[in-house]
Amino acid sequence: MDSILNIPFIHDLIILFKPALYNIYFLVAAVPLGFVFAVLLALGKGSKNKLISVPVRTYIYAFRGSPLFIQFFMFYSMSLALNPILWKPLGLDWLMLSPLFIGPLVLVLNTAAYAAEIFYGALQSTPKGEIEAARAVGMSKKQEFRTSIWPNMLRLAWPAYTNEVVFLFHSTTLVYFTMPVINKQQDLMNKAGELYEKDYNLFLHFSAAAFYFLVVSILIFYLCNLVYKRLTRHLNVDVSLKIKPNYTR
Amino acid sequence: MFEMLPTWLTDWVGPDGMATLAYLTNGKHIAWYASVRYTLIAAVCGAGLAVVFGLLGAAAKLSNFAPLRWIGDIYTTMVRGVPDVLFLLFFPLAFEQGVEYVMAKMYCSPEAVAAAGGVACKDAQWFLSTTEYLVMACFSLGIVYGAFAANVIYGALKAVPKGQLEAAHAFGFNAREVFWRFQVRQMWVYALPGLSNVWLLLLKATSLLSLLQISDIVDWADRLGTPNYLPLAGLVHPDWRWKYYLVLFVFYILLTFLSEKFFSFLQARAGRGMARAN
Repeated sequence: MDSILNIPFIHDLIILFKPALYNIYFLVAAVPLGFVFAVLLALGKGSKNKLISVPVRTYIYAFRGSPLFIQFFMFYSMSLALNPILWKPLGLDWLMLSPLFIGPLVLVLNTAAYAAEIFYGALQSTPKGEIEAARAVGMSKKQEFRTSIWPNMLRLAWPAYTNEVVFLFHSTTLVYFTMPVINKQQDLMNKAGELYEKDYNLFLHFSAAAFYFLVVSILIFYLCNLVYKRLTRHLNVDVSLKIKPNYTR
Repeated sequence: MFEMLPTWLTDWVGPDGMATLAYLTNGKHIAWYASVRYTLIAAVCGAGLAVVFGLLGAAAKLSNFAPLRWIGDIYTTMVRGVPDVLFLLFFPLAFEQGVEYVMAKMYCSPEAVAAAGGVACKDAQWFLSTTEYLVMACFSLGIVYGAFAANVIYGALKAVPKGQLEAAHAFGFNAREVFWRFQVRQMWVYALPGLSNVWLLLLKATSLLSLLQISDIVDWADRLGTPNYLPLAGLVHPDWRWKYYLVLFVFYILLTFLSEKFFSFLQARAGRGMARAN
């Protein structure tokens, strides 16, 4: 047992386990809210009301058209600038300056824009016949959405959305490149960089970090595939997600 | 410099406006504007290399020789499963260490290596300047986004109509000629939309240059924005970083907008003579 632990790579994996949890935390904190926000944005983009669709389009364009790295810097520095006039008096500075809060916040804003574009594309390609059928049987708007638009959108968008989640996981590395580390709350890249600075063993530490990224990426694909199987269970064809995504991002 | 401006303009801008103008054109700001060149060089050279790596990767994936095919597949999936930041930091450092290792073998005595703690001795150490980091950043971007481009080009190569290639074979071109003269020539139309996405990704990744000690626009924005205190003048300005980052935010959106315009023009041009659905 001791001999296994003495293998440098295994030793690194043990050290990097806790940092990996921070990356996973950022992902898990950002995905559910991002999903809901993205669906709302997608519906907003498709809205006939210009007052809704134009701001939503602008938002999606802006967040897809600029680097996440800049977005992190921008929101963090805005929060810093607001600190003396707003957060400090309100006693919120512990929250509003914490990477554990700003990180997921920016990730939500970013992933919502990317995912909204995916969902919007899926909304546009919902089979017309299904909507007409729903209307023909006299469904209300709400029922129509619930029974035909929503399931179709989800099914069509799911493979691309899976990629988006994996990308989001990779993007979590940027949190601690842009914000200070508080109380040893380091993520994978930060810790790997720290280990590298101690003994300059680049290949060991970076490949251990890369190993975690690969494993979690594969895990995300696996879980999303289970959901996809369930979404397409009525289709009676063998569909499964492959790690060969569309390069939409 | 401002003496050259006409008086009606200076009157209209007013003394406060002139002060702002003077501030925005001081030496540090000019250096900031000039540092855009690093971003553009990295983007353009990175994109060129990405197409080269993409073509090589796609050719490897399509190869008849199985190990080459595996290399192509490993290359494209490896880069996909790991964040680009990791590679962007890894390749330059790995190259530097590799060079230092070779240098140490050539110039260092074993005692000197032991004295330096197992790393390269003093003679073998290589200190990288901005130019060298920029070249390596271009290669890193090329390798990482080459994997994305490889997938796009792979798909595009397969989208070329079989009949075209069969016709070329029938005319007596050999396999290599068919690949380079027909398949690759015709694939661009199919690859362009995907390549435009890769370009947009790469453009956004150029914001990471500051992680490689290059004083690019992000680094300058941070320096210019930090609260500026001078002993003689007092606090020149408080924390203005958010303003500078906002400018960068808009700058990148503008670049994206221009690239999209350019690619749609290219698309229209490449698609001349192609049958369209509508």
